[in-house]
Amino acid sequence: MRRTLVVLLAIAVILVFGVIYYALDPTSSPLFPQCGLLTLTGYKCPGCGSQRAIHALLNGDVVAAFKHNAMLFIAAPWLLLCLYAETQRKRNPRRYAQLHSSTLIWFFLAMVLIWWLLRNIFNW
Amino acid sequence: MMQYWINHHGVQSGPHDLEALKQMGLTSATHVWRAGMSDWVKITQMPELQGIFTVVEQPATAAAPQPSEAVTGQPIQPQPARPQPAMPQAAAEPCPPTNMVWAILATILCCLPLGIVGIYYANQVSKLYQAGDVEGAKSASETGAWWCIAAITIGVIWRPIMMSFTGA
Repeated sequence: MRRTLVVLLAIAVILVFGVIYYALDPTSSPLFPQCGLLTLTGYKCPGCGSQRAIHALLNGDVVAAFKHNAMLFIAAPWLLLCLYAETQRKRNPRRYAQLHSSTLIWFFLAMVLIWWLLRNIFNW
Repeated sequence: MMQYWINHHGVQSGPHDLEALKQMGLTSATHVWRAGMSDWVKITQMPELQGIFTVVEQPATAAAPQPSEAVTGQPIQPQPARPQPAMPQAAAEPCPPTNMVWAILATILCCLPLGIVGIYYANQVSKLYQAGDVEGAKSASETGAWWCIAAITIGVIWRPIMMSFTGA
């Protein structure tokens, strides 16, 4: 019962945000302020551009989304994988441990850090 | 700290840490289990426990000193020669949450790159759990959760602050 409620709530939240990100363009809307790190230091964070990328994706512009934040194309599927792992944590702890193996997480962490470095060097 | 359960001449005790094991005068006939292992093994097969036990040729006859008595505080009872101890509770415990979902969300969506710390702790949880340190994994899981909460909270309160500056 409680589980169903949580799932329904999550779907509702995702739908609401989906509509917001579909309708409003973060490039021009004041509802989407600039990233804090970029404002404070002038350096982009690994997530910079992800809101514009989501807006572009929802409007079917894959190329623009890739230009805004390329890491999203790895992070989003990875996020889905982790969500699936979360459903398996108690039912199938072995599957959970496999999907959260130290090697996999290290790979992801290294990817984020390299992406962070490169995008600030090449201004991606 | 890694915790070990031992079966010394049929008497099961634990958890003990490595320092305690060194004081116990274990022999090569002792069986050991720790979280992360699928079954009990002889102490001689544990790479990290080499050198803390004395080698006995025939464990059945080496009954004179019984150091485990001091540890368990109980008199030693005759047991079947082959130990069949029950698995300690920790074996069945699932991995504590790695918070990876929140860490990734924070990294993608929440301005300051605090989510990266969350990913680092997710790795700690996984690593400690795989090594059998369930307690350590739990503590890393909690620390990681706090970093994710901090990252998302800052990401959320940043918006109205920033918006007020840009005059929206």
